[in-house]
Parts: sequence; structure tokens; C-alpha cells
Amino acid sequence: MVNSNTLAGDAAGRGAPIPKYSTGIAQIVNSALYRHTLGAAVESRIGRILLLAGVPVIWLIMLHVGPIYQMLKISLLSHYPIQPGVESHFTLANYAIFFRESLYFTPLIKSFVFATAATAVTLVVVYPVAYYVAKIVKPEGRSKALLLLLVPFWAGELIRTFSVIMLLANRGAVNVLLREIGLIDRPIPMLYTSFSLGFGLVYLICLYMLLPLYSAIEKIPSQYLDAAADLGAGPFTRFRRIILPLSKDGIVSGCSLVFLTCIGVFATPMLLGGPNTVLFPETISGFFHGASDKWPVGAAFALIMLVTALITAGIFMRLVGGKKGSAF
Amino acid sequence: MRNMVSDAPRTTLTAFYWAFILYLLLPLTLMMAMSFKDANFVAFPIGDWTLDWYAKVMQDKQFLEACLYSIMIAAGSTLAATTLGTWIAMLIVADGIRGRTIIFALACLPAVVPGMISAISLRIFISTIDMPTGTMAIILGHTVHAVPFVVVMALTRLRSMPGNLVDAARDLGADGIVAFFRVTLPYLGPALFGGMIFCVLLSIDDFVRTFFLGGYRPTLPMLIFAKVQGGMSPEINAMATIVLVVTAAVGLYAEFITRRARTR
Repeated sequence: MVNSNTLAGDAAGRGAPIPKYSTGIAQIVNSALYRHTLGAAVESRIGRILLLAGVPVIWLIMLHVGPIYQMLKISLLSHYPIQPGVESHFTLANYAIFFRESLYFTPLIKSFVFATAATAVTLVVVYPVAYYVAKIVKPEGRSKALLLLLVPFWAGELIRTFSVIMLLANRGAVNVLLREIGLIDRPIPMLYTSFSLGFGLVYLICLYMLLPLYSAIEKIPSQYLDAAADLGAGPFTRFRRIILPLSKDGIVSGCSLVFLTCIGVFATPMLLGGPNTVLFPETISGFFHGASDKWPVGAAFALIMLVTALITAGIFMRLVGGKKGSAF
Repeated sequence: MRNMVSDAPRTTLTAFYWAFILYLLLPLTLMMAMSFKDANFVAFPIGDWTLDWYAKVMQDKQFLEACLYSIMIAAGSTLAATTLGTWIAMLIVADGIRGRTIIFALACLPAVVPGMISAISLRIFISTIDMPTGTMAIILGHTVHAVPFVVVMALTRLRSMPGNLVDAARDLGADGIVAFFRVTLPYLGPALFGGMIFCVLLSIDDFVRTFFLGGYRPTLPMLIFAKVQGGMSPEINAMATIVLVVTAAVGLYAEFITRRARTR
């Protein structure tokens, strides 16, 4: 206490204005430690830059770029993790494996088919819902209407996947209901098929589509629609000529988000899919759990998936968005 | 007559909206209903109802431990992600910064990379820096996942902040650090609170990163995954229902707080 008083007194003597703080921050700011370290640092230009940019830049380079870079590096090695007595050298063989074996090629194709189909279904199903909340619900009720849609979002990936099992299992709600009303006499096997996986994926990701679409549609001025209606445009023409083109940004970012999420889903295919629906993430995962020197192959496959997914999303943005990829 | 014509799409859309709500809520409702089934297999119809499964879950040491472990990881990663995300956002809006777009793109990178690939790359990364799998690795992974969301939320709020607030503080003698803690941070408050809740939910929900970065101690999603793969029992439904109700309550509370802050 005495110490900080004298320091403050010295500074005042030199003519520096001493702001009077009354909170805990004051004690920190006026303490000798602060004045000689951070306090001094913010006085100089270099100090300010280091304080502001140091931690963020290190973090971004180390942990946002670093892992991807390490994955690239290891995908080009012959052995990793390096075991004693084994020499690791540069090779492209890990990538070649992918193109040689259809065993690996098929799951990637399946992943893309499922992700594309789920994205398309989600877009068609969620668009009317987003339009309804953005344009038909009155402004006061909008946040309530949105909130109701967001409730399942809090349940999390696994619980939502698990709840789909309740619906589709052999003694699940759908089969029992169909049997009760006499439409079928033995359960339709829906679980562990492409159908249950597709259904589960759509259920899992539809809300990622909702928010981008909603914010894009909400921005369309209602006067445009009124004007078009006055000029004789029917609902369909108004939708095709005004709403659809003006919500393009929302469609592009919603579809990219849903597609990229779908590609990377790991638990849902393992729980809802069957032996015929092994997707690429499960294939990749195998290289990290079995024999330990298969990591480079797994890394190469993960990169193949990342690059093809980003290129697909990029082409889609170009085609639909027409301009630079501003979706993110 | 004209009214009737323009009302038809409206009615259809209203019906569609409610059908969609039903679609969203039905599986979860069924899942919750099954937790009250008085039998040790999962099948409809439910028949007899019981609360026994909840009693069983609440005494299940594994479940309680997984809850604690998940909460611990969520707390650690949320704290780290909020700090780093805010810091990055401050850098992006700072005066005279070159390469703003690149910094923003890098900050958003983990949100664009599909979850599985992110998990694999982090697994490789921690092995190259000799970090063991386990708690710290999971926290690191969840932090990387959450940072982009905090950055975007903080940026949105920072862009609506009147620039003269900080100028005024500087004129009154506050240095950059003091101005940040006394002016900018309180202004960011509601956005950061929303961001933190979002981070907590992201972390508690995460399966794939935990699966690759974790050790033998299961988090909640890992425990549920193992139980679902091990065979169905209404016990899993009771577990999932508890988790769902708690996370939904937290989410609703956050929604309520941020909304109140916005209207004020």
C-alpha cells in the first residue's frame, strides 16, 4: 500500500496524469508490477503490437494451421509414429493406395452421395420453414417461432441420433404404429440401412440450414413482394423471380455448411448405418486404431477428403453464388 | 376472392411449419417417453410406466463421473476459447492492421474443416508435440473447435460499438489495456456470455474430437455411445433425457439472458 502510494507520488511529480480509479483494476494499474511491465509495454508502439497480436497470431498459426500442416507432412512419410529401427522417408505411396483400391474409393463416393442427398433434402424441406418464420410470422412472434425450432439443437449429436433409433427400430414407433393399423404384419427393417442413415443425417443437420436461410430471407424487403403482387405476379412468380434470387446467399452458405458438416459426421453413420453404409470417416478412423504405423495412410485419406469436400463446396458457391466465395 | 387466393400459400406454409416442428420433436419425445418404460428392453408400446431407470442412473457412478468430467472439460475449453476468441476479434478490429482478411479466414478455419478431419489432424498434432492423449488434449481440441464461434460473435458486437467510447476513455487517461477492461469488455459482455454458453454446449456435445483425443476416461457422449453400441436399455433413455433437459435449460437460459441484454 505504502509502496504504491510513493510510486504514484513520483509519477505525479513528473507531471503524468494519474487517473483516479475506484475499483480493483485501479490497484492493478497503479501497482509497481503493472507499471513496469504491461503499463510500460502499451506506451511503445512495438509493445502495443506485441500485446495485441502476439497471442492471437501464435495461436492461429500453431493450432489453426499447425494440425493441418502436420497432417500434410505425415501423409508424405512412409512410417509414423516412428518406431525404433525404422527409417521414415518421403513418399507419395499413401496417396496412391487410395486410387488403387476400390475398397477405399467406394466409401468416399458414398460419403459424397449421402452428404449431397442430405443437403438437397434439407434445403427443400427447410426452405419453406425459413420462409414462413421470416415472412409470414409477425415480427413479434418471430423469435418464439425460431426458438421452437432450435430446441432439438440443444440435444446434441448423439442424443438426436439415438432418438432416431426410437423411431425407426423394428419395434420402434413407426413399425409398431403401422402394425397397429394393419398396414404391415411384419416390421419393415429400416434401421441400419441407407434410409435410416439418410433420415438421421437430415435430422441431425437441418438446423444448420435454417439459420442462414432465415437471415437471408428476412432481409428481403416485403415491399418488393407487395409491388410484384400489385403488378400481377402470382405466388409462384414472386417466389421464382424475387425470393429465390435474393436469398441466394443464404442458400449458398446453408448448403456449404450442411455439406461440410455431413462429410465429417462420424458417430451417426456408425450408429444408424449398416455394413453397406460404411462412410469415409469410418474408413479413415481404422488407420488410427489398428496397427500404429498406418497413420500416414490415414492422414493422406483425410487430406483427400478435405480437399475434395472443399473443392465441391467451392464449385457449388461459384455456380450458385456467382461471385467470390463469401459464404463464410 | 383475391384474399382467398393469397391465403392458400399462407395456410400451407403454416401447416408445413407445424409439421416440421412435429418432425423435430417427435423422435426426442419418443426417446424421453421410453425412459419411463417398466421393462429392460426398448420397444413400443410402453405399457407400464416407472421412474426406476432414473433412480438407477442417479446411482450410476460411471454416469456421474462422466458428467463431472464433461463439465470440467467444458469449463476449461470455454474459458480458453472465450479469451482467445475475444483477443483475436480485438486484433481483427484494431486500427492499422494489415491482413485483416487473412486473420479472419484463419480464425474461421476450424469451423469449415469437417469434424472428422479436424479430429484426425489434432490427433496427429498432439503426437508431433509429444502431448499425451487425455484431458489436456481434449480441452485443446474443444478450444480449437469453439474459437471461431467466439470470434464471430465478438466481432458482430464490436462492429456495433460506437468508436468514441474507447476514445473517451483514452482521453480521460486510460491506457489501451485499461480501456479494454473497463469499456470494451463490459460492452462485449452479453455477446461473450452467449458465446460462452455456446462453447459449453459445443464441448459437452462433441464426440469425434473426444473420441480421437481422449484417454480411457469417458465423457458423456462417449459413455452414451458405448452404451448404445453395447445394447439398448431404457437406462440409456433416462441418461439421455437428463442430459437433454439440463442442456436445453442452459440453452434457454442463455437465450433469455442475451435477449434481455439486446432489448435493454
